[in-house]
Amino acid sequence: MNIFVFVKRVPDTESKIKINHETNSIIEEGLNFVLSPYDEYAVEEALQIREAKGGQVTVFSVGPDETRTILKKCLAMGADEAVLIKDDAGETFDALRTAKIISHALKTKYTEFDLLLFGKQSVGADSAQVPSMVAAMLDLPQVNVVTKLEIEGNSGTALREIEGAREKVTFMLPAVISAQKGLNEPRYETLKGIMAAKRKEIPVVTLEELGIQPDELAAGLELTKMESPPVKESGKIIEDEPSEAAKKLAEFLRQDAKVI
Amino acid sequence: MFNALTDRVVRELKKIVGEKNVICDPEKKIDYSHDEFSLSDIAHEPDVVVKSNSTQEVSRILSLANEEKIPVTPRGGATGLCGGCVPASGGIVLSLERMNRIVEVDRYNQMIVAEAGVMLMDFYPRVEEEGLFFPPHPGDETAMIGGVIATNAGGARAVKYGVVRNYIRGLEVVLPSGAVINLGGKLMKSSTGYNLLHLMIGSEGTLGIITKATIQLLPSPQMSRSLIIPYENLKDAIDTVPELLAKKIMPLAVEFIPKDVIQITEKFLRKRWPSTLGSTYLLIICDASTEEQMDKLSEQVAAICMERNALDVFVADNPSKQQQVLEIRSKIYEAIKAHTLEILDIAVPRAEIAQHVKRVQEVSQEYKIWLPTFGHAADGNVHTHIMKAVYEDGHIVPLPEEDWKNKLENVRRELYRDCKERGGVISGEHGIGIVKKPYLSYVLDEESISLMRGIKRTFDPNNILNPGKIFDL
Repeated sequence: MNIFVFVKRVPDTESKIKINHETNSIIEEGLNFVLSPYDEYAVEEALQIREAKGGQVTVFSVGPDETRTILKKCLAMGADEAVLIKDDAGETFDALRTAKIISHALKTKYTEFDLLLFGKQSVGADSAQVPSMVAAMLDLPQVNVVTKLEIEGNSGTALREIEGAREKVTFMLPAVISAQKGLNEPRYETLKGIMAAKRKEIPVVTLEELGIQPDELAAGLELTKMESPPVKESGKIIEDEPSEAAKKLAEFLRQDAKVI
Repeated sequence: MFNALTDRVVRELKKIVGEKNVICDPEKKIDYSHDEFSLSDIAHEPDVVVKSNSTQEVSRILSLANEEKIPVTPRGGATGLCGGCVPASGGIVLSLERMNRIVEVDRYNQMIVAEAGVMLMDFYPRVEEEGLFFPPHPGDETAMIGGVIATNAGGARAVKYGVVRNYIRGLEVVLPSGAVINLGGKLMKSSTGYNLLHLMIGSEGTLGIITKATIQLLPSPQMSRSLIIPYENLKDAIDTVPELLAKKIMPLAVEFIPKDVIQITEKFLRKRWPSTLGSTYLLIICDASTEEQMDKLSEQVAAICMERNALDVFVADNPSKQQQVLEIRSKIYEAIKAHTLEILDIAVPRAEIAQHVKRVQEVSQEYKIWLPTFGHAADGNVHTHIMKAVYEDGHIVPLPEEDWKNKLENVRRELYRDCKERGGVISGEHGIGIVKKPYLSYVLDEESISLMRGIKRTFDPNNILNPGKIFDL
């Protein structure tokens, strides 16, 4: 079982994001970066499949040199190998660009695999497009937003969330799976794992080495403006005797909020 | 010895703080009759609650109360655990909750000036915004600065950085006469006369009312990492701690936590602890300024733990993972609160902690009462929880009232006796309040208590300020 997992370096969900309005990008200084939480489910699932069925887990990330820290984390969790596909473009929010790079790598250099695991979306860009684009480019079966996965022989069964229900999908390998919260509980790294990961080499592959021409990656998306979501207004407090306050609340809900 | 509150005094109070900041409604007053201590028999309603908005108002209220001989109990976040802010003699509860302003952040002196009613949950983010660090971290972030100083609170990080006292540089205090005094200042050193500043810290609102504090901050450590270390048995876990200290390894915090309360809290919060191994955990938080230092420190810690039969060393080192681990640690209290009678706060010399915890386990077996014990292993502060329940097969089973009622007092006495034998004190960070008052003489000699009484009389000749706390006059 040869499993590839694709992960992204994103700002820690605990971080306070500040925007540089001149460059339309987030200010990275003082931010902590982590392995995107959905990708962590994907890594954990890969490790669990390997533990049950044997095989090898290789983790890939597309990004600048700083991306090594999250690859080290995946190695510390137990991945066998990690590969950095070096792309200095920074955050482009261009899912098509990332999907092209990944599918190029899988067509040219890393062609031997049974299962491609992704997080259902990255935290931050949240476009949720890369897994499906890669599946389409490689003409592979795909199941998205998966909360349960079973692999048996050269096929698999996945449960995916759909509105109000769960859908059961069976598929043939190789396939693309994107992980949703609930798929598993990602393990914490052990100190031993962290120290071993530090000593491990992470090979770097450049876009040139993958034979990607710059014009293939021409921007398919233009970022015009970046803004924080509007600040939530504080709640309204109705102060009065209980019977009066209840009347006012009902009136408010009917006339202003129009919910009853 | 006190006078009753009259309508005339209430009118005066309204003149000072405004009509809406004087509460006489019994339904609203009841919120001001207790703190976090569980047994309702210490609760006592105030005659009136007054919410001041300035030092001047506090001064006028105290001067009025002093003249009229009406007791005044100052109140912050009411997160105390021994009845310190309970108005035991009725009278006025003076709530500082409206005095919640950060007055100044002084980058050049690395100090912050805050009013007494600033909540910790607002204080820490403001400090962090400046890239600075306030090391003490008492468990409940709804606590207010004034109360934290009045009890000399501590928290988990005291191992490396000490308790609140170590960071207070200046205080503005209103005396029972209404006089306003300023103690200390933005100073690192002072050998100028008796140190009244430190007398005020930990005085539990009995000598004066703290209205404003100048607090030392530190540059923020660059990084922190939490190590979660499971052990097969408690003894190995606790025995690790003196080893760490003997090897001069100084983590930010060292907590020991039994697995049963972790499991209860995991269910309560629906969050997962990093490990299911073993029966006891050490949670060791390290801070460092470079990754190399951090790795070196954690490897040293891990080596000592493994020598003491630790089962593994798990790591949480990004903010959200650490947050998850610390949340479980800090919500244990809430998860078991409904079944908790009292949280003891014994502090013993650090090298005695293993023996004291062993004694707790013996007492638990002798009295057939659940005494989950966890706390700040490396600073000697042990929080034994006296429960009105037992823990069997993963479930909390409540005990009948007549059962725990008899045991409570005996368990307290047994453990305070053990504390005394080991050269400990009955409160490391919560204070004495009402609940621990009967046991003060276990650990302080009569001469010392008598000197304290004298000090109280000098500051507060009419005994109007938080009467009936720490000791009786």
